[in-house]
Amino acid sequence: MALVTADSLVKRYGSFTALSGASFQIGPGITGLLGANGTGKTTLLGMMLGLHATDGGTLRVLGIDPYAAGAEVRARLGYAPEHHTLPPDVRASDFVRHIAELHGLPKAEATTRASDALWLVGLGEERFRPLGTMSTGQRQRVKLAQAIAHDPGLVLLDEPTDGLDPMQRDDMLALIRKIASDYGIHFVLSSHLLDEVQLICDGAVIIGDGRVLASGTLEQLRGTGSEIVLELEDAGNVDPVAAGLRAGGVAVRVNGRTLVASGGDDSVFDLARDVCVDNQAGIASLSRRRLSLEDVFLETTA
Amino acid sequence: MTAAQIYEQGYRRYDGDRTGVGGAIRTLVTHSIRAVLGIGRSARHKVMPIAVILFAYTPAVVFVGVAALLPGDLEDGFLPTYAEYYGFITAALFLFAAFVAPELLCTDRRTGMLGVYLASPLDRRSYLLGKTLAISSILAIVTIGPPLLLLIALSLADSGPDGFVEGIEIGLRIIGAGALMSAFFASISMAVSATTDRRGAATATILGLLVGSTAVANGLVEAGDQSNLFLLGDLVSLPLELTFRIHQETGDWTANEVSTGAMTLAAVGIIAACSAWIWDRYRRMLVRR
Repeated sequence: MALVTADSLVKRYGSFTALSGASFQIGPGITGLLGANGTGKTTLLGMMLGLHATDGGTLRVLGIDPYAAGAEVRARLGYAPEHHTLPPDVRASDFVRHIAELHGLPKAEATTRASDALWLVGLGEERFRPLGTMSTGQRQRVKLAQAIAHDPGLVLLDEPTDGLDPMQRDDMLALIRKIASDYGIHFVLSSHLLDEVQLICDGAVIIGDGRVLASGTLEQLRGTGSEIVLELEDAGNVDPVAAGLRAGGVAVRVNGRTLVASGGDDSVFDLARDVCVDNQAGIASLSRRRLSLEDVFLETTA
Repeated sequence: MTAAQIYEQGYRRYDGDRTGVGGAIRTLVTHSIRAVLGIGRSARHKVMPIAVILFAYTPAVVFVGVAALLPGDLEDGFLPTYAEYYGFITAALFLFAAFVAPELLCTDRRTGMLGVYLASPLDRRSYLLGKTLAISSILAIVTIGPPLLLLIALSLADSGPDGFVEGIEIGLRIIGAGALMSAFFASISMAVSATTDRRGAATATILGLLVGSTAVANGLVEAGDQSNLFLLGDLVSLPLELTFRIHQETGDWTANEVSTGAMTLAAVGIIAACSAWIWDRYRRMLVRR
């Protein structure tokens, strides 16, 4: 079930092309929208909210064209903006209730759910405090509460850890993860920080220069390394095994007991097994190289 | 022994109906009116609206009190006409006109709330519609409320209109004149507030525009010996004089000086020009997210 589907998406501002043929799908769970600042993440979020028309391609959010049916889509989306200069003299509970009402909840329901959402993000005791008296961390939590209070089908979070110290950041990410898993709420988390996407996301869309460089589940992305790693039990067997692989037409580099074979397909697994048997070399592990998200990012943006 | 039940509490899914764009506009209007009146805000935010409302209603209460205490003893002309009443509350009108729109429009842009609103079912058009309704409604507290109170109280004290039908007719004139004045001042103050994010600057500009236009228009006509039509540029007198015409009373401008048609055309033109300016500003506005 894809929550967001983009096909050859184009967005231009005058002569500047913000998105040039972006195609991707966002599924359930938490998806990181990853890219350096200025690569088109906020533009993409704006398009998902139906605020910008596309200049080409198609976009569907929750099965609906967001620009054609903007109000309908936005009623079912939660959104937490990047900035945190919210109205300083408004109480957190009033603010969250107001946003819930804007998204179509009746007043009584909005009032109850605002309180519930603030308790959920850990601000139950603070819910009657004006926003201006709250710390950056608390305001980030208020933004999260207002984004989920009306029970959206998908929540868009723009840099939700911006301005937080490392401990607050970890707490915030854990909170998002908990809300996603406990209540089945789906998130798109726009961020330029690889490690936070890697920490809590189920999938990622990597954007660079207005293009989607890679997308999919983290498992898919990290498993897409083209290299095969063979770790031997005994370092003494490294040279003959490396020679055997090279004789089979595979480029190999050696690092201690580990041989990294590149440029081959899945038949390299069979070749490695046969070469090890021939040389009576014990295999500690044999697998495709697992990439970190940073590797994927560097590889795709190179 | 009764069976105890534990109800699930805390965050849960919502499957009920949603109120749509209409509901979003309604909540925007309500929230905006509450914000301007200081409801749910700290005491310092209540000072200005309470002062203005007191200022606007006190003359009406005093006149009604005098009419009730001294029925029949009042000389002709002691009580103001409904159009003349605005002369007593011009300052309250000015203050509300200069305070309300900047509070609602500039603050939303400075605090990033506009971006939050536009991520809801509201779009720029429905957002502006909601804000216009809120600002006009708040101004109507001052433009319609006091003369209406005067009418009701005088009617109860038997010093008001002759008969029910005339009472209804005067009531409709009060509502019409007050609505026109609200729309006029709302459009000017919103146009200025759409131009700057700084609330203080917007308030000062609105006050300057109102006072300045009066000075310039009257200066041109009286000192410069120009056509009376230049009086139409007097942004304070124009709506006030129109209320005299609506109430079929004689104001400072006689019909010979400026015709009702010209005044109506000027007022509608100013409202239309301000509306076009507001929409153009918001249509092009980059919204912070």
